[in-house]
Amino acid sequence: MSDQQAIAPAPAWRRYSAAPPLLLVGSILLYVGVALWTGQTRMLETDGVIGLLQRMVGLGIVALGQTFAIIAGSIDLSVANLISVAAVLASFIMQGRADMMLAAVLIVLAVSALVGVVNGAIISRLQVSPFIATLGVGLILQGLLSASFTDFAGSVPKEFQLVAYSTFGVVPYSVAALFALAALASFVLWATRFGAHLYAVGGNAEGARLAGIRTDLVTIGAHVVCSLSAGLTGLYLASRLRSGAPWVGRDGVYDLESIAVVVIGGTLLAGGRGGVWGTLAGVLLFATLDAAFNMLGVSAYPKLVLRGAIVILAVAVYTFRTRGHVA
Amino acid sequence: MEQAALALEMLDITKTFPGVQALDAVSFGCARGEVHALCGENGAGKSTLIKVLGGVYRPDGGTIRLDGREVAFSHPIVARRAGISIIHQELSLLPQRSVAENIFLGVEPTRFGILDRRTMRDEAGRLLRRLGSSIAPASLAGDLSIAHQQIVEIAKALAIDARILVMDEPTAALDRVDAGRLLDLVRKVSAEGVTIVYISHRMVEIQAVADRVTVLKDGRTVMTTTLAEAPTGRLVRAMVGRDLADFYPPRSSLPPGPPTLNVRGAANGQLHDVSFEVRAGEIVGVAGLEGSGKDALARALIGDEPFEVEAMEICGRAAKPGHPRAAIQAGIGRLSDDRKREGLLMQQSVRDNATLIERAFAPALRSPTAEPMSPQSTDKRLIQLDVRAASFEQEAQFLSGGNQQKVIIARWLARDPEIFIFCEPTRGVDVAAKAAIYQIMRDLARRGRAILMISSDLPEIIGVSDRILIMREGTLAGELPGGATEEEVMAIAVAHDREPHAMAS
Repeated sequence: MSDQQAIAPAPAWRRYSAAPPLLLVGSILLYVGVALWTGQTRMLETDGVIGLLQRMVGLGIVALGQTFAIIAGSIDLSVANLISVAAVLASFIMQGRADMMLAAVLIVLAVSALVGVVNGAIISRLQVSPFIATLGVGLILQGLLSASFTDFAGSVPKEFQLVAYSTFGVVPYSVAALFALAALASFVLWATRFGAHLYAVGGNAEGARLAGIRTDLVTIGAHVVCSLSAGLTGLYLASRLRSGAPWVGRDGVYDLESIAVVVIGGTLLAGGRGGVWGTLAGVLLFATLDAAFNMLGVSAYPKLVLRGAIVILAVAVYTFRTRGHVA
Repeated sequence: MEQAALALEMLDITKTFPGVQALDAVSFGCARGEVHALCGENGAGKSTLIKVLGGVYRPDGGTIRLDGREVAFSHPIVARRAGISIIHQELSLLPQRSVAENIFLGVEPTRFGILDRRTMRDEAGRLLRRLGSSIAPASLAGDLSIAHQQIVEIAKALAIDARILVMDEPTAALDRVDAGRLLDLVRKVSAEGVTIVYISHRMVEIQAVADRVTVLKDGRTVMTTTLAEAPTGRLVRAMVGRDLADFYPPRSSLPPGPPTLNVRGAANGQLHDVSFEVRAGEIVGVAGLEGSGKDALARALIGDEPFEVEAMEICGRAAKPGHPRAAIQAGIGRLSDDRKREGLLMQQSVRDNATLIERAFAPALRSPTAEPMSPQSTDKRLIQLDVRAASFEQEAQFLSGGNQQKVIIARWLARDPEIFIFCEPTRGVDVAAKAAIYQIMRDLARRGRAILMISSDLPEIIGVSDRILIMREGTLAGELPGGATEEEVMAIAVAHDREPHAMAS
């Protein structure tokens, strides 16, 4: 026992992780280094940097939601399929008509929220492991979707394409939206009761339950947030691709990549610790790798090898630092 | 008496954990084919000693000899190969594997590198028959009764030709008939030349089966003697007879207030006909052996495994908490006996841990740092309880046991329930923190809270409680006033129905 009395000087009430700044610096060095090495200094100007940030949007939004699921001690493997559902549903309902935009968005979000409730309920009420529950729900979603649609379905109107292609000055709406959502998510995690409960349930579900926390509602809430974020990514993809196809989510590997960036960002796969800024830094790292490989003119496959190595390395480093079980 | 080399000899075994001297020069030895009982209170060092013998812990000092040859076990597998087999209280069979597969786990017979299932099945059958059992080697271990699983565990030990068999509370989960059969088996195996170290709280069994007994207390050997020279009374005194440390706070001189918790004829799957009350300002201790129902009582009161036959009143109002949240709302707070699993958020800060209960009940849109969850009020409570940490931002896992316990108390102080249930409040806590926790409990009682303390630590039960309830076989077996002797409490706790007053001394 130490003699020193424990009165911390009213600090920020949670320790900050070193992961986000390190990943941020690493990404910037990589990006600038490759741009200079290949002599593509144009990539360091505004347009190049904006392009880099634009690459973050799709994965970034869904990864924010995945962060919630993982902090709560869960995981969501159904996001890729839900993204496809959302994109197809949006363009199918809109059929190129601007007056259907609001209805389509509301329906997509409602369906997403419902999927989240189903995921969360299967996990917390039926006590099915999150891995299996969301894998199953994902397969069901994909099956329903592929049975109903085989190709691009419908289209989105010009007005809806503005979501992906319009800008405030030089900043695209979508990039601004990603950072606004990240700020909102960060606020919810740090400054709301729901956020505190997420960490409690992820840290020790049994302890949280015995303390009177309704752990089932917390799990469902985390999955609703996660599914809503997948729905938003689906809407973004529909806007960007001008239509939705039943393979957009799967092709983006959004399920595994969203989990990978969350873990790279320092969130414990076992739950109870982490945050969205680390996740966003992980997304930036992946986007930077994409951009760097493009600049180098190398094919996409070595990029996968590097991504895999980074995930393993990141988790190994965190495990080593905490000398505990991370992932 | 033992001129020939003893089958097992442990000499001056010492083991220290951070802050705790678990074993202090413990010595004991057993002859070949002897049944040697090992007894002592919880925390006396029995399980540490067994873990040293089994190669789980390495001793800080001392020697182990098998048949006179000095050995050192670096790993459990080394001890197993040397012929030491340990049957833990929690049986370790794989429920989804067959009996034969379990018996030969890790020593599977092979022919040309291929698993020889027939030999395995035949040999398993032979071993089981040798033990007088007709369990089918092909049946799944998980389908067997606990008594039959015990037999499979013994067969497993015989399969590796164990020379030393350690049995830790083997009858704890058995009824009287099965316990009797198991004792017969113990005699039979020892007659074949296997040395048996038999750990038990049940004096009747020890008297029935053991040749000699060694009593441990506070990590030291108190005595080793033949059973003939050790009547039960002497054994119990050796186990519990200690100078009561004077760190128990004085009892209140005021008479207790009206009943805060009133339970009448409550029952569930593990409990029956439980009736008692706890009054405002009173500390009521609940004692009982492992499996006596005292832990089930705590879980029932907090609504985790609620009473089915419900007859519970809190402050005169009928209460029927069906889950922990409802129990807390009804005015019950519980400190779990398993801080790690059921209490703390290990990787979160002291402050977050200390605000968990209030956050659980805060309105949905309330900030998690609004009153009374603000760092200022939380820190005030933590300082009031003298929680020592490098900073209140430190993760809970880095605190000492006593400080962790205080953090959990702080969490409940913020809620300030009418009834506090303390389960094993000082388990894994050092002496100074123990005294502090007792003082906190007494202060709560003085403020009119009703306190139920469920504990396996008899000196604590006797030193702290105003009244003592003793549980046995799922119900209340008796009540004693505070300050009763440990012998009196043990007499009620260990009495078998068959011999209700065997322990009276």
